Amino acid sequence: MESLASLLHLMPETFWMIIKVFIVFLGPLTLAALLTWAERRGSAMIQDRIGPNRALLFGRWRLLGLFQLVADGIKFFLKEDLVPTDASGLLFWLAPVMAFVPAVLGFAVIPFGRSFVQDGHVFHLSLLDPGNGMGMLYPMAIGAVAVYGILTAAWSSNNKWSILGGMRSAAQMVSYEIAMGLAVLAIFVRTGGYDPQQIIAAQAGVWNVLPQAIGFLVFFVCMFAETNRLPFDFAEGESEIVAGFHTEYGSMKFALLQLSEYLHIVTAAALIVTLYFGGWRVPFVADPSVLLSVAAFVLKLLFFCWVFIWVRWTIPRFRFDQLMFLGWKVMLPLGMGNLLLQAWLMHRGA
Amino acid sequence: MAVLVKKVELNWLDRTYVWPVLMGMVITLRHFIKQITTRSSRRYTIPYPDRKRATAPGYRGLHELKRFDDGSIKCVACFMCAEACPARCITIEAEEYGDINKTQGFEEKRPAVFKIDMLRCIYCAMCEEACPKDAIWLRTDYEQASYDRLSMQFGKWDLMNTYADQDGKARITSDPTPTVPRPSVED
Repeated sequence: MESLASLLHLMPETFWMIIKVFIVFLGPLTLAALLTWAERRGSAMIQDRIGPNRALLFGRWRLLGLFQLVADGIKFFLKEDLVPTDASGLLFWLAPVMAFVPAVLGFAVIPFGRSFVQDGHVFHLSLLDPGNGMGMLYPMAIGAVAVYGILTAAWSSNNKWSILGGMRSAAQMVSYEIAMGLAVLAIFVRTGGYDPQQIIAAQAGVWNVLPQAIGFLVFFVCMFAETNRLPFDFAEGESEIVAGFHTEYGSMKFALLQLSEYLHIVTAAALIVTLYFGGWRVPFVADPSVLLSVAAFVLKLLFFCWVFIWVRWTIPRFRFDQLMFLGWKVMLPLGMGNLLLQAWLMHRGA
Repeated sequence: MAVLVKKVELNWLDRTYVWPVLMGMVITLRHFIKQITTRSSRRYTIPYPDRKRATAPGYRGLHELKRFDDGSIKCVACFMCAEACPARCITIEAEEYGDINKTQGFEEKRPAVFKIDMLRCIYCAMCEEACPKDAIWLRTDYEQASYDRLSMQFGKWDLMNTYADQDGKARITSDPTPTVPRPSVED
């Protein structure tokens, strides 16, 4: 790494930072694109169908329908970019970006492998080094900002379905953020810090899922609400409010909104892995090598991304009042109870 | 009409909602694994243009006007099919054979024009039922499509050749003149 960096006339740290930016930006982006494929093919398999498989590479190679992604991308780029006459011009353009940027940012703090030392330098496998003072508060904050993208898209479209969808989505995300915060708080209490490296270090013996099973349940359910996925996909609803907040969006703007939803899934899966499933830790291996740790993280990440798709095609939707009931009267007390339980256990010295 | 509302008493395990969801996920996973490990040829879905479904016996597809071995048409232009047709899509113009010795047995009529408007046809096979000579069959082909309406007007030679390639018969475009005179009604 030293020699590579010197070839480019860069400090090793700077060089490493650039690499990390590429990994953290392009990795989840690629994964999100692949998720759209996994969603369609996976749902097809779950429903005993076949799924998209007609897009061929050079008209010859099928490759499990993976080139549907490329075909979709080309189609999105070539589509006419329609803006409704009554839409608010600037905000209508800005909204997809406002939805996309927080979705990309969220991954920055997640460690995707163990830190290693080379030539006297410590290299951390997360975009923001540990001890940056933000820790796990950062993805939570960024996740909260994501609401604005949806709200702006809904408001600027000047369409009643969009506004209904945006409002439902905003109400849902805000309600579930409280329970999510409480669940995460219990982890912070147990760890004694909110830096992801610290949280992962604290999971050396046993992963957080076991002692914090209730907290995990609350956090997991809240993640579905935060990512606007089924069973809580109230931002859209074909039978009631058409496509919700992105009714009026087409071409690449729609693709950005869609991509940011899948990026949220990747980030949510990464948060679940980091907080509850030991991050890059490998079971029964006390001190994994760097590559092994990265592989373990990616594997867990992929599994939880798949769980998001899996759950979507299993459970029917909630009604909106049921969603609110669940959020305020079940998840919030459960999260609070979990926090109190953990605090009491701490007090007992367990 | 009275509606019977069936009340379902959920036990505590079901009311947690977590356990039933897990059971549901097991079901979907089972479907997923079964479908992903099934060979493409054994799945429910037939990838249509690549693989075609075999039609059932008795399927009523595209028509064929049958011919004798020497290539002469079996149809005697009796208009039974045109009368039976509920869609009124068959148009026949009959013609006489000049020389009775050259006809197929004792018939001296044949269609000069035999048209089926495939856009009107409802594939009910009433014509096949009505035909006294078994001269029109509805067979297996179900892929009729074209870019203009005119090419869906099937004439006599179109209809006689619809399954020529499939049956390995020669395509014919004119009424053959039998070389050997066949027995006529006088013989």
